[in-house]
Amino acid sequence: MPSPTCYLLLNPTASRSHHRPRLPLPAAAPPRRRVHVSCDARRTGGGGGGGGVKREAIPAGTGKAKKQVVFFDAAPPVSQRGGGGGGEGEGEGEGEGKVARRKENAALGLVRRLTKRTLSLLSNLPLAISEMFAIAALMALGTVIDQGEAPSYYFEKFPEDNPVFGFITWRWILTPGFDHMFSSPVFLGLLALLAASLMACTYTTQIPIVKVARRWSFMHSAGSIRKQEFAESLPRASIQDLGVILMGYGYEVFTKGPSLYAFKGLAGRFAPIGVHIAMIFIMAGATLSATGSFKGSVDVPQGLNFVIGDVMKPKGVLSFVPDVFNTEVHVNRFYMEYYDSGEVSQFYSDLSLFDLDGKEVMRKTIKVNDPLRYGGVTIYQTDWGFSALQVKKNGEGPFNLAMAPLKLNGDKKLFGTLLPLENSGSSNVKGISMLARDLQSIVLYDQEGKFVGVRRPSSKLPIEIDGNEIVIEDAIGSTGLDLKTDPGIPIVYAGFGALMLTTCISYLSHSQIWALQDGSTVVIGGKTNRAKLEFSEEMNRLLDKVPELISVNEKKIDSKQSAT
Amino acid sequence: MLFATLEHILTHISFSTISIVITIHLITLLVRELGGLRDSSEKGMIATFFCITGFLVSRWASSGHFPLSNLYESLIFLSWALYILHMIPKIQNSKNDLSTITTPSTILTQGFATSGLLTEMHQSTILVPALQSQWLMMHVSMMLLSYATLLCGSLLSAALLMIRFRKNLDFFSKKKKNVLSKTFFFNEIEYFYAKRSALKSTFFPLFPNYYKYQLIERLDSWSYRVISLGFTLLTIGILCGAVWANEAWGSYWNWDPKETWAFITWTIFAIYLHSRTNPNWKGTKSAFVASIGFLIIWICYFGINLLGIGLHSYGSFTLPI
Repeated sequence: MPSPTCYLLLNPTASRSHHRPRLPLPAAAPPRRRVHVSCDARRTGGGGGGGGVKREAIPAGTGKAKKQVVFFDAAPPVSQRGGGGGGEGEGEGEGEGKVARRKENAALGLVRRLTKRTLSLLSNLPLAISEMFAIAALMALGTVIDQGEAPSYYFEKFPEDNPVFGFITWRWILTPGFDHMFSSPVFLGLLALLAASLMACTYTTQIPIVKVARRWSFMHSAGSIRKQEFAESLPRASIQDLGVILMGYGYEVFTKGPSLYAFKGLAGRFAPIGVHIAMIFIMAGATLSATGSFKGSVDVPQGLNFVIGDVMKPKGVLSFVPDVFNTEVHVNRFYMEYYDSGEVSQFYSDLSLFDLDGKEVMRKTIKVNDPLRYGGVTIYQTDWGFSALQVKKNGEGPFNLAMAPLKLNGDKKLFGTLLPLENSGSSNVKGISMLARDLQSIVLYDQEGKFVGVRRPSSKLPIEIDGNEIVIEDAIGSTGLDLKTDPGIPIVYAGFGALMLTTCISYLSHSQIWALQDGSTVVIGGKTNRAKLEFSEEMNRLLDKVPELISVNEKKIDSKQSAT
Repeated sequence: MLFATLEHILTHISFSTISIVITIHLITLLVRELGGLRDSSEKGMIATFFCITGFLVSRWASSGHFPLSNLYESLIFLSWALYILHMIPKIQNSKNDLSTITTPSTILTQGFATSGLLTEMHQSTILVPALQSQWLMMHVSMMLLSYATLLCGSLLSAALLMIRFRKNLDFFSKKKKNVLSKTFFFNEIEYFYAKRSALKSTFFPLFPNYYKYQLIERLDSWSYRVISLGFTLLTIGILCGAVWANEAWGSYWNWDPKETWAFITWTIFAIYLHSRTNPNWKGTKSAFVASIGFLIIWICYFGINLLGIGLHSYGSFTLPI
């Protein structure tokens, strides 16, 4: 009988607050028969193959099932696996005694062996991890190196005579296409390899694991139950009580005679497969997006129109022109809204869509974050410009003055125009300069370039400049629209949805509990795949609730057992 | 004005409370464990949590949009997320070592937010058109929650590495080192606390490696759980961002620096989760990956914003479109 300290050392997670003593694990378990009775109808045929040391080996009958539980590094060598498959075929062939059939089988076996070899190579965990590392490194590199510049930029920045870090010249960047990292063959090839690894891993490793996990099975020897990660013995307890308590904790409980099997969180086993499939969906959708989409951007002054098809440019080989490209878009109005501080709060474009017959098929005011969708085409509000200024000079006009962009870099825009005062052919034309940062206020300068005043187009307030009375009637903006069609979106979104759902489910951990009524003692063993600490805590709490039976009940159980 | 004063008061209360809490932690760590002090530090954490929540709510009320428009607000939100992370195990009443990571982390993020940043950045900014969407709440809050969770998880892993590669387990020599080297501050605290809890659960120190082993197991298990949670949140955050980008910028993925680094973070933690399926790599090797992840998160969260490149350069600059 080991001392309590020893017991605590053996079970460090067990708290000392148990309201009843629990028997320590016997140091040497009595020898028990190791009969694995399968009560699962699905695998009645497979009982003979295993050998029965490991529980998971029971359903193994074919060579395929043998690799079900093994992890990557612990996997048996490929040849052995292939040999199993081949051997099956050979035996069959000899039995029939037909040479032709044997040849066929040999060829089939070769193909099978080859595919298996490739699959096991691809599903190799170190390979997959190094692929992910390589992709992460390339992405990081892609943000460090400026992307999409002209070659001369790289010649200048990474010169051959003075390399960065002593060895990086422009050749290092331009040859593998790192100036456009995210479309370079190296990067795309790695992504494709990762996708192949994903599929191979799902096929060779994940699905077999789930197949094993789905087969719930009883354990009929206390020894194998004690081998589990979590093991306890409850003296004077009944397995029925345990079953009820387990059900209360959300377990699916199965009992047969003196044995009990319970599990929960099986979805947590399935979910990683879903994650992989969702990733493949996203990759496939992204490929379709890259090869089958149209894109275009257009700058339209208020009041003008354009045809969708004129703007769109195909991005890949699979871009098919849809019918809606005949549609004409009319910009009814473009306007901005401002905060009190004068900053732009939102851009609006009032768009009308007309079909070939000139009938209006749709009208919508779009803004940033609220695009227009029509027949697969999406129109986004992305940019703005200052198209023209309507000006009255001394009561004449109004004249339309085209505004020229003076500064466009980044978010601070500046537009300007000039109202000539003398319409002479002289080269030195002087006039009134008008500058604007937005559609709200126009700054006016006289012929000498001196500041005169600021006017709002809405105020219609005249201003005197060099003896001319100027009225700014209106400021006409132009809207910058981005258009695209993307056939990959539904697939990508399906992948997104699946990925979110399955990663959430992956957080669940699949817990399994086995128990055996051994006289009046219940031997309990359990394991889980993720939340190991929480599992042992939960088990401790749960076992504390199992009622202790008094001697009368004990007799009952004994009689029950003798009956069975 | 009323809101500004309220916010001012709340930040100061929370900051001073958390300072007291951290002092209590230091006292319990360096001098001796006092039951009453530990209780009061828990109360302090709860009080601070309510202060920060009040701050965020008043920000929301005064600005009219979800308070995540600039770096200051996002840092406050990050520390709020760390409080949440601190509270969840408390509510579930399960014992763990998370609080030793979360408490110093909150004081650092909050201290940095209130004193490290320019005071102009404390002002609530207006929302540029691209940010005016319901997705702002979903995407940014998910991202920050995931950053907080992943930071905690990777710090647990870093603590594991520290303990794993420690030569001697001498308490007092480490104490001196702790005062001297502030760099490994959390890890040290984490270590001592975990050691104490190990001491409590087993009362016979028979062989020192046993604690070490047990502690490493615990840390490994906890960091795995926390990182799994953070990974889930990160996935949701990135995907919400992608859907939003498809509404606002015209493409669900633009290879924008911030996006790319978020994806790198995601990849690193995916590597972590995969490396754990191999029994040989469990523990040290996977903890090493998670510690790399710690640096990557900071590059992703902070580095890109400091550089101010790409479409995500909110906070430091205002972008009209």
